[in-house]
Amino acid sequence: MTPLRLIALAIAALALATLPYWMSGIYYVNVASQILFFAVFALGLNVLAGYGGLVSLGHAALFGISAYATGYILQAGFGHTVAIIGALVVGVAAMALYAVLSLRSTGIGFIMITLALGEILWGLAYRWISVTNGDNGINLHGRPAPFGIELTTATAFYYTTLVVFALAVVMVAIFVRSPLGAALKGTRDQPRRMNALGYHVWAIRFWACLFSGLLTSLSGILFVYYTQFISPQTLALTSSAEVLLMVISGGAGTLLGPIVGAGLVVIVKSVVSGFLERWNFLLGAIFVAIVILMPEGLVPGTARLWRLAWRRARGGGAPS
Amino acid sequence: MSALTVTDLRKSFGGLRVTKGVNLNVAPGERRLIIGPNGAGKTTLFNLITGELTPDAGSIELFGTNITRVPSRRRPHMGMARTYQIITLFPQDTIIHNVSLALLGLTPMRWNPLTDMRRQSRLTEQAHAALARVGLGHIAERPLSQTSYGERRRVEIAMALAQNPKLLLLDEPFAGLSIDERRDVQQLLLAIPRDVTIVMIEHNMDVALEFAERITLLHFGEVIVEGNRAEVVADPRTREVYLGH
Repeated sequence: MTPLRLIALAIAALALATLPYWMSGIYYVNVASQILFFAVFALGLNVLAGYGGLVSLGHAALFGISAYATGYILQAGFGHTVAIIGALVVGVAAMALYAVLSLRSTGIGFIMITLALGEILWGLAYRWISVTNGDNGINLHGRPAPFGIELTTATAFYYTTLVVFALAVVMVAIFVRSPLGAALKGTRDQPRRMNALGYHVWAIRFWACLFSGLLTSLSGILFVYYTQFISPQTLALTSSAEVLLMVISGGAGTLLGPIVGAGLVVIVKSVVSGFLERWNFLLGAIFVAIVILMPEGLVPGTARLWRLAWRRARGGGAPS
Repeated sequence: MSALTVTDLRKSFGGLRVTKGVNLNVAPGERRLIIGPNGAGKTTLFNLITGELTPDAGSIELFGTNITRVPSRRRPHMGMARTYQIITLFPQDTIIHNVSLALLGLTPMRWNPLTDMRRQSRLTEQAHAALARVGLGHIAERPLSQTSYGERRRVEIAMALAQNPKLLLLDEPFAGLSIDERRDVQQLLLAIPRDVTIVMIEHNMDVALEFAERITLLHFGEVIVEGNRAEVVADPRTREVYLGH
C-alpha cells in the first residue's frame, strides 16, 4: 500500500471511529449506520456483479429473507444469538438455492432469473399474509446486548454496525486478493479460458454466490435490528435496483466503490429528501451524470481524473 | 501406446456435419500438423479433443485413457493444454498474473479464499520461469494491455507450457505475426522438449512444414491425406484442396 493510501485509510478510520462525537444529532448518526449496513449489502452484491460479472436484480429478496428469518426466530421465543446465527444460515441457504437456479445462465439470462426469483419472493411476502403478515410486516421488540452493551442508543448501534462493516471490508479485501478471488475475476473476463486452464467455473461462481449471500444476510440482520420492522417493500425490485445503483455508481469491481455508492444513495434518500421532494429525480440525474462522465464509477473515475491531472501538472509523469 | 488416439469422431451442428468420422493417431513426442482450407473442421476437431464440444459419436484417448466423457475442465489435469486461434487472455492483468492463473488452475490452492496470491513465492517463481522460457521474463510485471500481438501469442504459449502438458494443442500460433515474431515463436516451439507431444493447426506452410513430422489434411470434416511432409505435399489431393498449385 502506498503512503498516500495509508494516510487516507487512517483518516477514514479515524473519522468513522469518532463520528458520533463530531456529528451533530442522533439523526445523522443513524444515517451513518444506514450507510454502513447498506455498504455491507453493496459489498455483497459487488462480489457477484463486480468481481464475478454476475449482475443480480433479486438480491433484495435475500436481504429480506435474512431479515424475516431474524423476526421469525425472535417471535418463536429464541434469543438474539440464535436469531442471528439462524438468519445467517437461512440467508446463505437461500442464496445457495438461488445460485443453483440462476447459475444455469450468465449475462442477461442470469439477470432475468434473479429478477424472477426476487419477484417470486416479494410476491410471497406480500400475498402469503398468514405467514408474513402481508403489508403490515413483522415488528421486532428490542435489540441484542452483546457483552452487556445495550444497542438501544444510536451511538451503540452505530459502533456495532461499524464493527460488522469493518469485518465485511476485511473479508472482501482478503477474498479479492486470494487465489479464489483471482479465479472469480478470471471467470468474469474469460470463462472459456478458465475452463481450459482446469478451473471449475460453475463451482467458483457458486462459492462467490455463497460469500455474497453471507454479506447480504449480515446486512439484512443489521437492517431489521435498525428498523425493528420488516415488510415486503424491503424485498421489492426497487430495493434490488437501489443496491445495484450503489455498486455501479461507486465503481463495480472495486473495494471502495460500493461503499461510496452506498453513501451517495443513502444520503440522497435520507438527507436530501428532507429538503427536496423530488429526490428520486436528483438521484436519477446523478446516476446519469456518473454514467456519462465516469462510466467506470465514482471511485475509479475520480482516480482516473486524479492521474490525468497529476500527469498534466508534472508534464507527463503519473503518481504511484 | 499413442499420445492421442481419435477414433471415428463425429460431430454435427443441426444438419451440418462438421466432423465425419475422423481418425487420428499421434505418437508420443510427435509433432503433428493439421492443415485444411477454411471450414475444414480443424478448430472443431480441437474443441472436440479438449472437450469444449461433445462429440456425437466416436472416442478420444489420451495416453491410453478414454477421455471422451471427461469434462473439459478435467483434461488439463490429465496433461492436456491448448492455445486459441483468437488470443484469449486476461487483458486487465499483468503478464505474470496471466501465467500465474494457468499454474494455479492445476493446484488445489485455486480454491483458497484466504491467502494473498501475490505472496505465493513458489507460484511466482514458476510463473517467472515459464515466462523466461518464452523470452518474456523481463516484462513479466507489464500489464497485458501494453504488450504487442506477438508478445501475447508468446504469453499464450507460456501459459500452456506452465501447465507442464504431455499433449499441447496449438491453434494457429503464427496467425497475425510479423516475420520476426514468427521466427521467435518458431524457435520457441522447436525448443519444446520431446516429452511434450504437439498437435498444431497452422496455415502458414513456410514455418509449419519445417516444424511438422507428420501432417493430416482435413477437408469438409474428413481426413483425406495423412503422411510425412513429402508424402502429403506430393499428394495431388493436397494440391487440389489446399495448396492450389
